[in-house]
Amino acid sequence: MLSRHLKRACLDARWTLPPTFLLPFTANLTTVSHSAEASDIPEVLSHPVLKPSYDKSTKIPPRKLQRSSQPPSSSADDAPVVSSPPSPQSSAAIPRPPRSPLVLSDSVRELLPLLQAQGSHYITAHIYDRPYLLTAGDTVRLPFLMHGVRPGDVLRLDKASNLGSRDYTLKAAAAPPSLRSATTATTPALDPTTGHLSSESHVMPEPANADSRARIPGQAPHFIPHIAKFKHAYLDDRLFVCRAVVMGVEAEPMRIKEKTKRRNRRVKKVKSKHRFTILRIKEVTVRGLAEIERQRAPTASVEKSAKL
Amino acid sequence: MSTPTRFFRITLLRSAIGLPTRTSGVLKALGLHRRLKTVYHPVTQDVAGQVFAVKELVDVQEVDRALSDKEMKQLRQPDSGFYVERRAGERVMGS
Repeated sequence: MLSRHLKRACLDARWTLPPTFLLPFTANLTTVSHSAEASDIPEVLSHPVLKPSYDKSTKIPPRKLQRSSQPPSSSADDAPVVSSPPSPQSSAAIPRPPRSPLVLSDSVRELLPLLQAQGSHYITAHIYDRPYLLTAGDTVRLPFLMHGVRPGDVLRLDKASNLGSRDYTLKAAAAPPSLRSATTATTPALDPTTGHLSSESHVMPEPANADSRARIPGQAPHFIPHIAKFKHAYLDDRLFVCRAVVMGVEAEPMRIKEKTKRRNRRVKKVKSKHRFTILRIKEVTVRGLAEIERQRAPTASVEKSAKL
Repeated sequence: MSTPTRFFRITLLRSAIGLPTRTSGVLKALGLHRRLKTVYHPVTQDVAGQVFAVKELVDVQEVDRALSDKEMKQLRQPDSGFYVERRAGERVMGS
């Protein structure tokens, strides 16, 4: 099953699952317990801090309605956090890689139709992990030049942390706590000679090897200074549709920086003229429960045929 | 020599500015040229001695696999957050 997975990964250029050699490493970084995704990744280790009680999607109406967000439900009700690769939503010839089934919590089932019924929606979409608050009709000037796209290309934004309307907000589960290095955390240890805490010492916690499943809560399996994973928590992209069109590229006025030293007549001029991609948001829609159910059915049949 | 099975994952947490030249020499030998840089070295007595010389400046963990610079860079890359659904000029499927 894993080899089939990876073949699809090679076929589908959009899939951003880390490559084969990184799978065991990134599996160790998993901070959410996956129920159905365990088969996809060889070792899926659950982080004891991020228990299944993290509600995947909580609805928070701004007014204090009686039906406020439900208390965190059990893991069976939680939709898994999207640390899995984004599946192609368009009707590509490549079959969609199998994903864990979308499980909605009670509050989402109850309030999603209400959110959908409200007219205009906004979304906090993340492009390269940077959030942008968007709604249909917005013009976005990205702070960078997006490569590989031309004016007229339609993009599908699939990483979102918030999705809301006037009265309702669909939020992703709280971001996992920032992983602390073992160097900053110490545990008090009994002095072995005296056997009591009068002489106290602090030792680093027992280092867990890569395969160990016993982890100390709140601590990183390794020291990870600049890891990109788990900085933000995202909604499942099967809940919404957000499309943007690439309008073009804009450039700033030419800037000239003069570089020189004191008492030195030689002046070096450095020119800068950065370019920025402009997007226009075509569509921000919330999928209804019926549509989500309909999406689930073809996935199940694809999985069945794959297993046969 | 057999392939090493265990590696030290060494990350420089504190700078060696103001410290004796020998200390910064050890860091240079380990390949730690700037703060928060991470290097992998096999678990040997030599490396252990080097780490011990700069133990107050680094974070060390023993791991099974050494990641290359390319692999570490891939871990730092965030997800793009978008994909191209339709190229300009393409016809919509079914229309």
